[in-house]
Amino acid sequence: MKLQHYIGGIEGLAPSSFEKRVFVQPWEKRIFGIHVAMMGLSNHLDAVKTVPTRFKSFWTWGHLRKGAEGMNPFDYFKYRYYEKWLGGISGFFVESGYVSKEELDAKTTAYLEKPDAPLPQGGEPAIDNQVIEYLRIGDSPKCEVDIQPKFKVGDVVTVGNPPPTEHCKLPGYLRTKKGVIDVVYPGAYNYYFPTGDGVGDPMPIYNVKFDSHEIWGNLTEPKTWIYVQIFEAYLEDPA
Amino acid sequence: MTESIDRETYSAARVRALESLLIEKGIITSETVDKVVEFFEKDMGPFNGARIVAKAWIDPEFKQKLLEDTPSAIASMNFPRGMAGAEGEHMKAVENTPEVYNLIVCTMCSCYPWPVLGLPPYWFKDPTFRARAIREPRKVLQEFGLDVPDSTEIRVWDTSAQIRWFVLPERPTGTEDWTEEQLAAIVTPEAMQGAAKVVVPA
Repeated sequence: MKLQHYIGGIEGLAPSSFEKRVFVQPWEKRIFGIHVAMMGLSNHLDAVKTVPTRFKSFWTWGHLRKGAEGMNPFDYFKYRYYEKWLGGISGFFVESGYVSKEELDAKTTAYLEKPDAPLPQGGEPAIDNQVIEYLRIGDSPKCEVDIQPKFKVGDVVTVGNPPPTEHCKLPGYLRTKKGVIDVVYPGAYNYYFPTGDGVGDPMPIYNVKFDSHEIWGNLTEPKTWIYVQIFEAYLEDPA
Repeated sequence: MTESIDRETYSAARVRALESLLIEKGIITSETVDKVVEFFEKDMGPFNGARIVAKAWIDPEFKQKLLEDTPSAIASMNFPRGMAGAEGEHMKAVENTPEVYNLIVCTMCSCYPWPVLGLPPYWFKDPTFRARAIREPRKVLQEFGLDVPDSTEIRVWDTSAQIRWFVLPERPTGTEDWTEEQLAAIVTPEAMQGAAKVVVPA
C-alpha cells in the first residue's frame, strides 16, 4: 500500500488551489496528447491491428496510474500532475526500447538550446484517424458475461483489506469500513489487467453509500454522505 | 537536470524531444498531438455539458430521463458522434436541489467525464483538494466561495472505478424566460462538478 492510495481524508493541509485552467504550461498539452495517442494505439484494441504505427505495446489508464502509484510517495507529492506523466511516459518509452536514454537526452539538450526548433514532419494519417476514433468510441470496461452479483440493494457490506499492491482501485480510507449497497450495476466490469489484489477479471460493481461519520467520526461535517463505486472483489459478506 | 535549468524549461524541452522522437520512429505523426488537442477544443468539452444542463432545466421529461438513464438521454441530443467515447462510456448525472448538494472528487487519480466536461481543471487534480473534499466538503466549498448550510445534505461522489459522475446544478432564479441557448451560456464547468453554483451574470 502506498501513501498515494490513502490520500482521501488527510488532515492538516492548506487550502486547496482553485486554478481553473486545464494546462498551466504549454508543454503539458503535448504530454497529454502523447498519452491519449498511446491509449488509442494500444495493442489490446482490435482496430489497432491494421494501423501503420510502430507502437506495439499495451498502454492504458491502468499503466499510467500504476506508474504514478508505484512512485516513491515523497516524489509523488513533489512533482506536479503532468510532470508525473512526463516522467512515467518517457521512462516507459526508454524501458520498452522505443527510444534510448542517450537519444532522448541529446534531443532534450538540442531543444533546450533551440526551444523553437521545428518538430520533424510526416507520418501516416491512419494513425491519427485511429486515435480520434478511440476518443469517439472509447474502451468500455463493461463485459457481457453472465455473473450473478453477490449483493443486493440495501445490503450492509464491509470493505475488505486486501494485501497491498503497487496499483489498486480501492481508496485507502474505505478499508474495513461499513457501507450500504445503493446501486447494483447491471453486467460485469473488467479492469485493464490484474492488479494483484482481486481486480482485473469481469465482476459486478456497486455504488456503495457511506456515512462520513462511520469513516472519520467527529472529524467530518454534518449530513455528509460518500458514494463510491466499488468492485465486488473488494467487498465482504453482509455484516 | 542541472539546478541551473528551470524545471518548466526542462520539461518543455523534454516533451518536445519525446514527441520529436516518436514522430521520427513512426509511432505517432507530426499532427497527432495537435489533432488530440483540437478534439478537446471542438468536440469534447464543457460546452456539451452546458447544453445538457440547459435542456434539463427547460424540459422536465428530458431531465427525468437524464437522471434515470444518463447515456440514453445524452444520445437523444444532437451531439457529434462520440458522446459516449473515451471516459464517457458510463456516465451518470446527479441533481442538486435545495435539500441535496453534490460534489464530485476522484481521490485516487483524476477520473472525469471527458465528453461532457472536457479535461479536468488543475484544482480537481490537486492532491490537496482530493484529500480534503472527501472529508470536509463544506469547508473546501466555503474556500471556493460557496456556503452549503448544515441543513443541506452533502453527497460526495468518489469517482474511483468505472462510472463518471457529473452534477446537474440548480437553475438560478431570474432565468425563467431565458432560452436554452442563453441558459447554456451561464453553465460553468465548476458548477457541473459541484464546486460552484450557476449565477446570473451581473
